[in-house]
Amino acid sequence: MNCIISSITGELITKGTTFQLFFLITSGILAYIAFYLARHGKTWEIRPLEGLEAIYEGIGRAAEMGRPILLLPGISTLSNAQTIAGLTVYGEVAQRSAEIGVPTHLITSSTEVVTAAEAITRDVYIRAGKPELYQPGKFVKWYGADQFVYAVGTSGHILQMKPATTIYYGYFLSDVIVTGETGSRVGSLQIGATTDQSATPLMAIVCDYQLVGEEMYAAAASITKDRNAVATLAGEDWIKLILLALMIIGTLGSLAGWNFIYQIMGV
Amino acid sequence: MSRTVTYIRIYLARIIVIVGCLSILAGYFLTSPETAGLSSELQLWSSAISGFTLFIGLITIFARYIRSVMNREQNWPFHLYCLIVIILWVPFGFLQGIYSDIYQTLYLSTKITLHITIIGMMGWFVVSAMYRTFRVRSFRTAVLAILAIAMIFFNAPYLTTPYPVFGDVSYWLLNNPQMSASRAMVICGGIGGVILGIRILLGLERGALRMTGGE
Repeated sequence: MNCIISSITGELITKGTTFQLFFLITSGILAYIAFYLARHGKTWEIRPLEGLEAIYEGIGRAAEMGRPILLLPGISTLSNAQTIAGLTVYGEVAQRSAEIGVPTHLITSSTEVVTAAEAITRDVYIRAGKPELYQPGKFVKWYGADQFVYAVGTSGHILQMKPATTIYYGYFLSDVIVTGETGSRVGSLQIGATTDQSATPLMAIVCDYQLVGEEMYAAAASITKDRNAVATLAGEDWIKLILLALMIIGTLGSLAGWNFIYQIMGV
Repeated sequence: MSRTVTYIRIYLARIIVIVGCLSILAGYFLTSPETAGLSSELQLWSSAISGFTLFIGLITIFARYIRSVMNREQNWPFHLYCLIVIILWVPFGFLQGIYSDIYQTLYLSTKITLHITIIGMMGWFVVSAMYRTFRVRSFRTAVLAILAIAMIFFNAPYLTTPYPVFGDVSYWLLNNPQMSASRAMVICGGIGGVILGIRILLGLERGALRMTGGE
């Protein structure tokens, strides 16, 4: 079987990536099926995510306290899926808070994200019917591209602005302990979300609520209240079921000395 | 802004995103030298554009810090110091080169010393954060605290030297329950990233696409 697949795809597809390509195409097809069903009226309910509920609570808290909201999309660039998810949440949080007169600030270490976040902020204020409140450089900050320069700049910003809610949504490393601890000291409600293994335990100790692993992508889709975007999460669950089945079959097969799944994945 | 310009902004940006994603995927999966060439060329364009966006960051820093210095806001001397250092670095970098002694001295005596200070301070931050974590308020925090304390003791030489079994227990905890949980997170995070990419290709990711003025 392995030889047959290799002989068919060997000329065209880079060695060792056939299974990855197959997996990507399957994921695309399943996500599209879920999207197609959603467009034809099918609805999926997702379980309540504590971290997502906390984001809504954080917006209300900021309005009550008369303090801003701070969102940190991490130290990566637009090429990172976590940063994209962070920008999605920023757009929605900024939209809701702009409508009730609460400013939302974003601090990034990537200059690409500055440009994207400025465009989102402008769009948010136009949609909220308050275009006069938007000023370039007022809501989106950049203190440097280095990890710790970002952490220190953000900590200074937190100490000055004393945000009511701080949302860490993206790719972080050990810098999150510096910003997170500063946020705790000013009494900010802290919500964290990352898929990075090294930052997850650090977030757990500095944040009040946390979205673990792929919950961050699920929350980014469901916060938009877009039925079609939420539907793709159903596709994601189907993929997880397939992978789970592959893992169980692969483990049992491996115990029985049958490495078929393992070989297929390496094609 | 006219309707035509708005449409160009929306659809041109979406086309660029989709073509960029597909070309990079093609460059990775296909053996064709043409697709690999196209992918690397587009990545080169992306790097060139990213270089220009650096100026936006510099403008943000200057706009904010000059205003802070002029208005004598809180911590304005630090902002002034930051501006002076940035202004000094640029001519020295251009005239002497970034590997010259003078530039390296400037770099090591400002940025690196501050960097090391922050890393030193992190010890205090971690201790302070741990103090809050160990205030057990629920079953989950109790499990976290018990396991954390166990890991600290099971890795302490005064316990593992006379009783090596504690070291074995710590390795077992790290290599079995911890490793399986972290791999589950990585796999699910990867799938979430793939689905997010598909949402972008389908035009469903509002966050990524509203920056282009999407509906």
